[in-house]
Amino acid sequence: MTDKAEYREYVKKNAPGSPMFRSVFAAFLVGGIICCIGEGVSDAIKAIFPDMGETDIGSWTTVVMIFLGSLLTAVGLYDRLGRFAGGGSMIPITGFANSVVSPALEYNREGVFFGVCAKMFVIAGPIIVFGVVAGVVAGVIGLFAG
Amino acid sequence: MRAGRQSFKAEKPVYVRSSYSIVGPKEGDGRFGALFDTVLKDDLWGERSYEKAESKMHRETIRGAVGLAGTDLDGIDLMLAGDLLNELSASSLAMRYFKVPFVGLYNACSTFTEGILLGTALIDGGAADAVTCSTSSHFASAERQYRYPLELGNQRTPTSQWTVTGAGCTVLSSEMPTPEEDVRARENFAQSMREMRENCLNSAREEDRECKRRAENAPFSEEGVLGRLRRRLAGICRPSSVSEPVCDTAYRRTHIAKITGGTFGKVVDFGIDDESNMGAAMAPAAADTLLAHFADTHTSPSDYDMIFTGDLGRFGSEAFRFILKNEGIELGDCYADCGAEFYFPHQKTFQGGSGAGCVGTVFNSYIVKGLERGEWKKVLVLATGALLNKDTPLQKENIPAVSHAFVAESEKR
Repeated sequence: MTDKAEYREYVKKNAPGSPMFRSVFAAFLVGGIICCIGEGVSDAIKAIFPDMGETDIGSWTTVVMIFLGSLLTAVGLYDRLGRFAGGGSMIPITGFANSVVSPALEYNREGVFFGVCAKMFVIAGPIIVFGVVAGVVAGVIGLFAG
Repeated sequence: MRAGRQSFKAEKPVYVRSSYSIVGPKEGDGRFGALFDTVLKDDLWGERSYEKAESKMHRETIRGAVGLAGTDLDGIDLMLAGDLLNELSASSLAMRYFKVPFVGLYNACSTFTEGILLGTALIDGGAADAVTCSTSSHFASAERQYRYPLELGNQRTPTSQWTVTGAGCTVLSSEMPTPEEDVRARENFAQSMREMRENCLNSAREEDRECKRRAENAPFSEEGVLGRLRRRLAGICRPSSVSEPVCDTAYRRTHIAKITGGTFGKVVDFGIDDESNMGAAMAPAAADTLLAHFADTHTSPSDYDMIFTGDLGRFGSEAFRFILKNEGIELGDCYADCGAEFYFPHQKTFQGGSGAGCVGTVFNSYIVKGLERGEWKKVLVLATGALLNKDTPLQKENIPAVSHAFVAESEKR
């Protein structure tokens, strides 16, 4: 038989790779558009509620974007967007919403308790854990340094 | 009779008495679309989950093959079946409907050829006279088990494959069916299909009427948009989706396909650990089995009209040719990969089809029909299976693979 190392070398060299320029361009385009929509939402909130503070506007923008991401996931559009955009639609907070809502939809058939609730965070779980841990570390540093 | 280290030759003739295949809508648009017996319009097939739909496909394809064989379930001695779901749930749940002994098989995507080999060996050895060999896979249920939820917006890599939604069943038998039996079986089966369809339509109509009645008598008193919306929601009903089984009563076979032997494969590990590049992981196993087959049976590629691999995909079949070239074997034009040919390029499946249903449906439509027309005299079918589950790559295991091969010949009657 063929040498295993030689075969692995062949596979590494010849396996079709992702088209670099197209992926980066699509991610840049869609990611940019999503962020523009976010800016638009933030401006709209500012126009409707002129008295609201900067932090509150930021939080409400996040809430609206999460809602939009979840809605597009539920009607089955976000996965098509993701297939085109890759990282462009995965990195913004809408992508995070997608990664929570899609398993919730998928495991709906196993019931609410052991399906939706238990499996909802199978993909987003690590992000939440790292977020919480980073928050604790930053808090401890802030406590002593600040 | 045993031949060489891994192979055997059947001493008695083992005939492909009938074959049946059911596929989903995307597969129906693919290259073999016109050859499948049933193409579903909806890949849920009126069920509540994709797993249930897969099990239903599995059940109906067995029912179809047994019907076309011109026998009832009493004429079947054993059912060999397998699929990709955990603990073979699609096939075992389907088996509840048949009062026939059942043997569950798992060799990932090579389960179909494994089933045919075992069925041939059992009939040849006299342990059974008629067996069914069936496999199924479903894109949505496989995606959920091995990869991510369907709605997750991730990108597929260019080396990935598309699990075929489909089920195929072959009835192997030691008796050669006569042309009269064939005609009778087809007509009876078409008749029962018509009746079933009529019943289905009637119950769908009944359900529809029931829904309309419910909507009219709905106790919503509100007027305006909300009331109208609620009334419309109550009026929607999903009639149990009506399948359209195609039974071509005019189909006649001039030749009969028979299984004359085969080669059991070893598990081969070439150190590929990329789970999105199964073709590269499986190609060495296919080459290993093919070389063993040639050595055991003293044959060469020129002895076969066609050599089919299961689901190596486009890149996988290139890698397969690469390994064989190193061994001094050129396959030339008499080689095709079922998975790579399954979809058209515009269907965006990257490397092509895969899954236990891939070779199962292609053999039971394209390959068997080619043999029954006498287009090919002798073909070799070797399907490959990548042996992994969701946890083994996380535990830094490589992806080993196995491949089983059987020889199908066509005999004029």
